[in-house]
Amino acid sequence: MAYLELAALKKVYGKDIEAVKSFNLKVDKEEFIVFLGPSGCGKSTIMRMIAGLESVTEGNILLEGESIIDYQPKDRGISMIFQSYAVWPHMTVYDNVAYALKLRKISKEQIDKTVKEVAKISDIYQYLNRYPNNLSGGQRQRVAVARAIAIKPKLFLMDEPLSNLDAKLRVSMRTDLKRIHQELKTTSIFVTHDQSEALSLADRIVVMNHGYIEQIGTPNEIYHDSESMFVAKFIGSPPSNFLTVKVKEREDKIFVIHSDFELEVKNKYKKALKNKYINKEIILAVRPENFTINKKGILKVKCNIIEPQGSHVVINIFVGGEEIKVVSNILTLKTNEEIDLGFSEKIAFFDIETEKRIR
Amino acid sequence: MNSAGKKTLFYLAITFIAFAVIIPMMYLINISISSAIEVNDFPKRVLPVLSHDLSIEWDDESSYYIISRKSFSGEYEELTYSSKFDKIETYLITYLNISKTEEEIEEDFIVARNTGDIIYLNYNKDIFNNFGKFFKVFDGASAALVNSIQAAAITILLSMSIGGSIGYALARTKIKGKDAISLGSLVVRMFPAVSISVPMAVLLVKFGMYDTMLGLAIIYSIPNIGLTAWITRSIFMSVNPEFEEASLVFGASKIQTFKKITFPLVLPAFAASSMYAFITAWNDTAVSLLLTNNNETLALLIYKSMGGSASIHYAASGAILLILPALAFTFLLKNYINKMWG
Ligand SMILES: Nc1ncnc2c1ncn2[C@@H]1O[C@H](COP(=O)(O)OP(=O)(O)OP(=O)(O)O)[C@@H](O)[C@H]1O
Ligand SMILES: [Mg+2]
Repeated sequence: MAYLELAALKKVYGKDIEAVKSFNLKVDKEEFIVFLGPSGCGKSTIMRMIAGLESVTEGNILLEGESIIDYQPKDRGISMIFQSYAVWPHMTVYDNVAYALKLRKISKEQIDKTVKEVAKISDIYQYLNRYPNNLSGGQRQRVAVARAIAIKPKLFLMDEPLSNLDAKLRVSMRTDLKRIHQELKTTSIFVTHDQSEALSLADRIVVMNHGYIEQIGTPNEIYHDSESMFVAKFIGSPPSNFLTVKVKEREDKIFVIHSDFELEVKNKYKKALKNKYINKEIILAVRPENFTINKKGILKVKCNIIEPQGSHVVINIFVGGEEIKVVSNILTLKTNEEIDLGFSEKIAFFDIETEKRIR
Repeated sequence: MNSAGKKTLFYLAITFIAFAVIIPMMYLINISISSAIEVNDFPKRVLPVLSHDLSIEWDDESSYYIISRKSFSGEYEELTYSSKFDKIETYLITYLNISKTEEEIEEDFIVARNTGDIIYLNYNKDIFNNFGKFFKVFDGASAALVNSIQAAAITILLSMSIGGSIGYALARTKIKGKDAISLGSLVVRMFPAVSISVPMAVLLVKFGMYDTMLGLAIIYSIPNIGLTAWITRSIFMSVNPEFEEASLVFGASKIQTFKKITFPLVLPAFAASSMYAFITAWNDTAVSLLLTNNNETLALLIYKSMGGSASIHYAASGAILLILPALAFTFLLKNYINKMWG
């Protein structure tokens, strides 16, 4: 039995704004799940339904096997970190953290002990007597974390908790969040539209688009084994390259043909292509680092623009009128230099209509 | 606009404020501490006069002291003569607001008699004399002060609680036509309170609330409720809903959330907008003229007392008394708001 189960969850705002369309997810205990998707895809809506701040139109939410959709937010035993931190400005940091504990009628000594304990974990011990207005954004964020972990929640929800921080702080805060999760092992759901946050934090990532789940998987699966063109395009910077190619069969061999090159398909996808796609157009997807350069390639191209990134370079190349991006660690490449481009084993094919992976 | 133009405008504005506010204010303060003699002085002084320059001369033939006062032009003008120090004491306090005991006066004056010279004295005025006198001359002034405080307090209570509730409903619920209600609440404000007090007088008599502070406060509250609803609506809307949602998630019921989160957060702004209710009640004369009989408010009493020119300086000090609580209230609020939001 899953620890948390979202079963055919649906949310319709007003008459016809479908924010979430039949959402299914099973989360194990102690897992760290990240919802990743573009703005407006329904991430917050799902979080708010789990927390009880938004009613559920259809479907069910089961926590430890029990439906919680009829419970008040206060009875769900869930903690949440809000995008605006929502640290109450009229209370000291101490009172903010103690708020939930006081409502639970815990003894004063126990509250004091817990507050100090979580304050140490989230590194705000020296600010306990301050008011939030006298804290920096990062410190307020830590107060929100302390407040959320103080109640030892069954579930820890975080809705874009780092999006208001500057880039540097964001990276260090996410390491702290990961450390706290490793210490406390609270089952967590984290919302973001920043892919590097998702990849670095998640046990599993749920990639969402327009209220649908595009793919659920580990960071590696999501990146290297994208299920749809949306995922391949959304994850990775620069994202996956797409080239439209035609499938041909010649003497029991399968080729994909592009105006500038022909590539023989030898890997596991050969069978799938042969079965359904002969003489049809499909999409060839290649991640920027999955090209070979000057190693028995299949087409000669000119480096159009070269963007050095320190450890590697990003090369812009035109293939049959389409611009692709190639990542290489050959730092000596020059603009307009001709190179011999090839593909590594890690290429993927997508159906041009469904935009789903061909396997 | 260029900076010279801006500067000119700035100084124009400052000058205007000086003429429109500060000078009349100074003038009022000056009159409020004026003695009976000064009331008839001409030209009047703008800056408050805190002491009198007197000259004392001993008239050996008639054997009395001649008391003169330095006038605006710098010359000494004779005021009165007397040989009895108790009479002089009474004269000084009644006409010049100088409070000196018989003994003190004798000690100073005797020098003029012993030396035969004219002596010059500078006696400070008792600037609180008129305020005490105000309560003596206008009987019922202290009762009127209590009445005014009562009326203002009830007005604040009524308009903040009712207006605040409407404001909360308008901000946090999704009722249809709430924009119309918001606008309507402002329209009510446009009617002068006097216009509703005539028909309301009949109603108040019927409910036994004529000539009571509760009755007055109800009339004051009617236009204020709308304004308060309008103001508090935007106050509630400015509270980030995530503050309330966080409270709900962390274990509070809706009522607890309102008590512990929403209300404390809006309180400073609430207090600030209670200023309007206070001022409506405190400064009104027209409504209380219509709706009270024996239980006057302070503003009404002062309004009436402006009539007799003999007592204009007492009325002025009454007016200052009317301003002081309003000032105190404003400054307390300001401090409180600074503390909460500073
Ligand atoms: N109260 C509401 N009434 C009507 N529509 C809403 C409401 N809240 C959200 N929506 C709509 O539902 C969709 C999903 O919104 P949601 O806030 O869940 O997106 P999100 O994935 O969290 O986006 P973001 O990354 O920008 O926070 C959006 O199209 C939004 O316009
Ligand atoms: Mg969101």
